Amino acid sequence: MPRHPVASRRVLFTALVVVSLLLLTVFFREPATGALHSVQQDGLGALSPLQSLASRAVQPFEDGWRWVGQALRANDENREIRAQLEDLRGQLVTLREASEENERLKGLLDMKQAGIFPQDSTFVVARVIGKSPTKWQSWVQIDKGSAEGIKLNQAVVGATMPVAGSLSGKGLVGKVIAVAAHASQVQLVIDPGSSVAAVVQGTRAEGIVEGTVAGGLLMDYVERDKPVEEKLVVVTSGFGQIFPKGIPIGLVQTVGEVDVNIYKQIEVRPFVDFSSLEEVMVLTSPVTVGAGVESMTSVIPEDPAGKDTGTTTP
Amino acid sequence: MTALTPRLLDIFKLGLIIVAAVAIQTALISRLRILGVTADLFLILVVLVGVSRGAVTGMVFGFVAGLTADVVFLDPVGLRTLVYLVAGFAAGRYVEEFGLANAWVIVLLTAAVSLASQVVYGLVQFATGPEGALFAMVRSQMLPAAVLDGLLAAPLYLSLVRLRVLPAPGASEPSFR
Repeated sequence: MPRHPVASRRVLFTALVVVSLLLLTVFFREPATGALHSVQQDGLGALSPLQSLASRAVQPFEDGWRWVGQALRANDENREIRAQLEDLRGQLVTLREASEENERLKGLLDMKQAGIFPQDSTFVVARVIGKSPTKWQSWVQIDKGSAEGIKLNQAVVGATMPVAGSLSGKGLVGKVIAVAAHASQVQLVIDPGSSVAAVVQGTRAEGIVEGTVAGGLLMDYVERDKPVEEKLVVVTSGFGQIFPKGIPIGLVQTVGEVDVNIYKQIEVRPFVDFSSLEEVMVLTSPVTVGAGVESMTSVIPEDPAGKDTGTTTP
Repeated sequence: MTALTPRLLDIFKLGLIIVAAVAIQTALISRLRILGVTADLFLILVVLVGVSRGAVTGMVFGFVAGLTADVVFLDPVGLRTLVYLVAGFAAGRYVEEFGLANAWVIVLLTAAVSLASQVVYGLVQFATGPEGALFAMVRSQMLPAAVLDGLLAAPLYLSLVRLRVLPAPGASEPSFR
C-alpha cells in the first residue's frame, strides 16, 4: 500500500472502478437467478415495508399536492369542458335531426315496399323546401322538378313521424300541380281545391275526399245507404286516374247524416301530419292521365331558389 | 479508541444519510415530477459529500451509495456504483483544487455532474436498449434533470450543514453572494 496520499487515493479509486466494472460485467453475464440478481430481489423485499410505510405517510401530502395542481387546472378544464359541452350539444341536435330524417325516409321506403303501387312504379324522393304562406291554400314546394322526371299531376306520398293516436304517418300527400326544372309545387290533399276519388275499406263506400279551409279532410258524395263506421281506413279508389288505387289517405273520424242531404258527410283524419312534412316521394311512373275530379294543371316559372312564390294558377 | 470515535460517528452519519436517501427517494421524490423529471437525491448527496469531505470520502460514499441504489432500485448492479464513485471523486477533487467560493459552485457542480451521469445512463441505454432514444432524451430527460438536481443541491447542502450532518468547508458556510 503506497504511503503517499495521492498515490493511495489513485489506488483506491482504481480499485473501486475495477470493482464497479466487475460488478457490472457479472451482472450482465449472470443469469436472472444469479447472485447479484438475488441480492437485488432480497433488497426489494427488504425495502417493500419501508416503501409501504413511507407511501402511507406521504399519501396525505401527495393528495394535497395533487389537489393544488387540480385546483390550478380546474378553471382551464372548466372552460374546456364547457366548450366541449356546447360542441356536443350541437352534435346532438345534428344527430337527432339525422335520426328523424332517417325515420321519415324509412317510412317512405316502407310505403314503396308495401305493394300498394303497381310493380313497375318508380319514385323520386324530394325534400320540402317551401310551404304555402296562408291557410287559404295548402301546398308545398319540393326540390325536384322536370329535370328529375317530375311531371304535372303525378301522385305524391309522404311519411312523417307517427302522430298521436294510431295514425301511422304514412299516406297520400297530394299531387304535382306545377313543375319547374328543379322544383315543383305539390297541392296537398287538405287544400280546399283538392279532390280525390276514395273508398272506405271494409264497406267499399265510394266518395270524393276534399280538403277544407280548416286543414282537414271531408269525404263527400258517399251514399247514405252505405254503412260507414268510425276508424275505418279511407284509401284512394283509383277512379280519378291520377292516384293509383289503394294509397292510404286517413281514418274515418266522424260520420254525419243530414235529412236534406242525400249523401253522408264523413270527416277523415289524414295519416300524414302535414305540419311536419319534410320529405315526400313522387310517383313518376306509370304515367298518369289527368282527368275527372283529380285533374288540375298549372305551370310555374322556374325558381331555382325555391322561394314560396305562391304563383299557382289552379 | 477516543481517536476513532469521531471517525465512527462520521461513518454512522454517512450511513444514516444513505438510509434516509433510500426512504426519501422512494417515498417522496420519485413521486414528484418537476420539469417532467424526478430528482436524483443519491447523486446530489454524493456531490455534497465529495464537496464537503473531499475526494476520497466522496468516492467511497459514492461507491456505497451507488451500490445501494443499484440494489434497491433494480438497476444493473455496478452502473450507478461506477457513476457515483466518479461523481464523488470529481466533486471532491474540484473543491480540493479550486475551493468553494460560494454556493453557486455547488449548484453548477451538481448540475454538471448530473448531466454527465445522465449522458452515461443514456449511452448505456443506447447500447443496451432501443436505438434512437438518446437524442430525444437529451431534451426531455438529461437537461431538465441536471437543472433540477442543481437547484436542489444548494438548499439541501445548506440544510445538511446547519443540521451538522455535513461539515462546512473552511470556517464558514458558503453563501450565495
